[in-house]
Amino acid sequence: MSFRHILAITRKEFNHILRDRSTMILVVFTPLVMLLLMAYALTVELQHIPIAILDYDRSATSRDFVQQIVSGNDLDLYAQVGSIAEIEDLLMHGDVKAALVIDPNFSRDLLAMRGMPMQVIIDGTEPESGGFAVEHIASRAEEFANKALSTQIQMMGFSADALNPLDLRIRTWYNPGLKPRNDLIPGLISMVLGMPALSVALALAHEREHGTMEQLMATPIGRGELLIGKMIPYIVAGLVNVVILPLLAISWFNVPFNGSFPLFFALSALFMFAVLSMGIIIGVFMKSQAAAMGVSFLMIFFPGFFLTGIFFPIVSMPEIMRLESLGMPGTHYATITRGIFLPGVGMEILWPYAVMLVLLGFSFTGIASLFFKKKLG
Amino acid sequence: MTPAIITNNLTKRFGDFTAVNGINFEAKRGEIFGFLGPNGSGKTTTIRMMLGLLAPSAGDVQALGISVKGNQAELQQRVGYMSQRFSLYNDLTVQQNLQFYGAAYGLNNTDLKSRIQDALVMAGLEGRENAKTKDLSGGWRQRLALSAAILHRPELIFLDEPTAGVDPISRRAFWDLLYQLVADGVSVFVTTHYMDEAEHCHRLAFIQRGNIIARGTPAEIKKNMMQGQVLEIASSDAVNTIKILRAAESLDLQEVELYGSLVHVVAQNVEKKKKDIQKLLKKEKIQIEDMAVIEASLEDVFIASMK
Ligand SMILES: Nc1ncnc2c1ncn2[C@@H]1O[C@H](COP(=O)(O)OP(=O)(O)OP(=O)(O)O)[C@@H](O)[C@H]1O
Ligand SMILES: [Mg+2]
Repeated sequence: MSFRHILAITRKEFNHILRDRSTMILVVFTPLVMLLLMAYALTVELQHIPIAILDYDRSATSRDFVQQIVSGNDLDLYAQVGSIAEIEDLLMHGDVKAALVIDPNFSRDLLAMRGMPMQVIIDGTEPESGGFAVEHIASRAEEFANKALSTQIQMMGFSADALNPLDLRIRTWYNPGLKPRNDLIPGLISMVLGMPALSVALALAHEREHGTMEQLMATPIGRGELLIGKMIPYIVAGLVNVVILPLLAISWFNVPFNGSFPLFFALSALFMFAVLSMGIIIGVFMKSQAAAMGVSFLMIFFPGFFLTGIFFPIVSMPEIMRLESLGMPGTHYATITRGIFLPGVGMEILWPYAVMLVLLGFSFTGIASLFFKKKLG
Repeated sequence: MTPAIITNNLTKRFGDFTAVNGINFEAKRGEIFGFLGPNGSGKTTTIRMMLGLLAPSAGDVQALGISVKGNQAELQQRVGYMSQRFSLYNDLTVQQNLQFYGAAYGLNNTDLKSRIQDALVMAGLEGRENAKTKDLSGGWRQRLALSAAILHRPELIFLDEPTAGVDPISRRAFWDLLYQLVADGVSVFVTTHYMDEAEHCHRLAFIQRGNIIARGTPAEIKKNMMQGQVLEIASSDAVNTIKILRAAESLDLQEVELYGSLVHVVAQNVEKKKKDIQKLLKKEKIQIEDMAVIEASLEDVFIASMK
């Protein structure tokens, strides 16, 4: 291993990346753009959903109830209407995503502890907003009922603690393809950080396709030196993203980051090593850039959707898929990322995943240099 | 001193197909050895085996007195290579390309700096260090590729069709550089399919479908391979001259070829046939402006040997 040889390759590779602005943007900012696109396409952020309210009861209690429903950031009162026909109109025009109809017997039944007769109508074309409105109204109704009833009960001379509060929780239909941002974004980050592996696979295939690989093989640069030298710039580009992406998640999407950032950075570096080694294998085996591109998507990103547990839980997978999933750096890294972001766990829990990344990294580099001969044909 | 290259029954088979068929030749040190052959004849395959990039199916090759097999690492430091396909990085600048190849051969920074300066002078690219390589014209690029290939001062350099697709003036300039290298003691192995370039080599081998069909100095090859002499005719109508002479079976001419605006006729005892040719063309109302027996060029030999 000659440091000078590795440096020669690394420097050249940096020159390729920095040769013009568009290449640099492509290598450095693609993960960021991918994260933004997928975050907006695959997640929902529910706030300020416009609703209409039709209050048939018109009592002091029902007015209090309406006040409570729209007091937060989640639901906005678009209009208070007088008839079902008006609601239909507003829903048809998309002005509101849901409407709450308060029954004429609302306050009477509530005070008599018979229930809270009301109805929520939602826009079926936007079930996620509608469903969220239903959930929100239900939980507010529960709070409202409990408060109203405890007052009532105390007035009747009982202790409020003695009573089980009414359980008004409603099970709502829920679209499993869409997840709240906080859950999904850490997983997405782990996936888009695999991007540099595609770049390195393409860079190797490019040398082969343009005949410069032959020239390289005639130099005294060894195959290990060549592969390591090629990897370094993409590890650096990846690590830049390891810093940028969590910052974006925290500041733009308000995703909480509860763990240790130095730990996240260190484990991300291990992931870069593992996933780039996988990119190197692809670059070594594929003769053209087009082929390298296709296989990279299959091996680096496609499994990301299915095997990293981002969209489907790993436990619900068939046995073989689960084994393959263990061989993907992304699987372990997704667990690490989510663990550090949300529960904020540390090495005491994440060490097996870190060990797996190291093992995968070394086996992939081993396989790559075994098959990457300084020979043609 | 041991020869620059010795091949011994060097053979390469791809499956059933024999690309290089047991070739033998010797290239001397400090000479330009030309390796001539049409497309697909096995030139690149031979060079790759000499560099250790392809393992021979049979036979072996020695470069600079040591066997290529098993000594690839040492040889790579001592030989240079300019591959057939463009060997520089198009998207990098002149300076970046030179820097990379210098560093690839382990030059330290001080050496590298002065060698890059030499290379720029040699390629005539001083002041254009920061030009993108893809923006250079073909001739500049080839000279740059050559100067990059000799940054580490190799004792032997392999050039695979270095001047393909380059204009005649640039080709001349490139060959001037090769002569400079040889004057400095470098041995050159160059493939080409330009006959005029072959004339400039000290020694040649013709390869055809993997077989060497002739070897020696240009003069030796002409003497050994040419079965007859060449008569050069300048006439008022070269195209019809060819037609008529080709149809004239009684004259027993081996070759009648267009050579620029002239016609080259190859035949035994061509001096004696001059009169008949004159008569024949006169009958067809073609004016002969000049007619002389000349020394055969390699192109004449090559075309004759290809039949
Ligand atoms: N890896 C390979 N596998 C199979 N056949 C090959 C391979 N490399 C070369 N060949 C064949 O071997 C023959 C010789 O090829 P080679 O490239 O050595 O010719 P060449 O003289 O360099 O031709 P050109 O002037 O076109 O560069 C050709 O028919 C080519 O198709
Ligand atoms: Mg060739």
